[in-house]
Amino acid sequence: MTSRYVTLALYGMFALVALALEVRSRRSRSSIPSLSTVFTRIMRTRSGRVGVMAGWVWLGLHFFAR
Amino acid sequence: MTSLGSDDEAMTRWVEPPPAHTTTWTGIRDPVVLILVLAGIFDWLSGNPIHSILLFAAAASLLWVALRGTPEEADRPASDRLERADRRSRRGLVPVAVVAAALFSIVVGAFGRYSWPATIAVLVPGAFALWFAWRHAAPFAPGVDFAAEPQKLASRGVLAWIGLFVALGLFELANLLLQPSFKTDSYIHPTLSVMTDPILASHAGRSVVLFVWLALGWFLVER
Repeated sequence: MTSRYVTLALYGMFALVALALEVRSRRSRSSIPSLSTVFTRIMRTRSGRVGVMAGWVWLGLHFFAR
Repeated sequence: MTSLGSDDEAMTRWVEPPPAHTTTWTGIRDPVVLILVLAGIFDWLSGNPIHSILLFAAAASLLWVALRGTPEEADRPASDRLERADRRSRRGLVPVAVVAAALFSIVVGAFGRYSWPATIAVLVPGAFALWFAWRHAAPFAPGVDFAAEPQKLASRGVLAWIGLFVALGLFELANLLLQPSFKTDSYIHPTLSVMTDPILASHAGRSVVLFVWLALGWFLVER
């Protein structure tokens, strides 16, 4: 297994962990909030909203803009 | 004079803003500002000045508000207090927004990556979204008791998400540092953006990614 496949496998692992957390959050009385709930909480302050939206704009710029 | 229902009472309740010096100190040590500055520095080193200017500007704006020490949006007009109710009524606009986003994605997807038309096309909705986020942030807005709702999140659960994103960020940073240089991709240690290059090479791929990007923005604005 090359280093490239290890890197790709680790990215896949992050995706699986995120999926597992989201699925776990759907269970009743789960101590893990859904990602939507976490973002809702983060965006209750101006710095949270501006920070998250700046990150979103940055994503668009990063993939498409100069 | 009619009596107010429980919902109306909640809407008209005033939440006292914290003292100005508390707001200032909280703003200065705000992790969001630090994160934006660090991201801006690395983006600058990667040769993306426009991106880093955006991040620095967002950080500077937040810092400026914190240094002024004024409570955020304390004097918002009454019409803004019904923001949450407005969100529900906006759901009727979803089909229109989906069609508009699809058209936008198809048209802008035709532009080459890193071209000025693509840059402007991304900056326009981005600037609007940032303005919207700034305008509609209301931690101390009259009529909304932000301290009382929603339910308290379990710190262990929140830490699980924070840990995941921090680990992913560090892994991405490690792959970036393992490249021959910041501006030269690595086949062995690809970053997420390097892995998306084949998808973004085609018009269809760019259109799909643009649509997903807009959908993500809509999801965030609705929070």
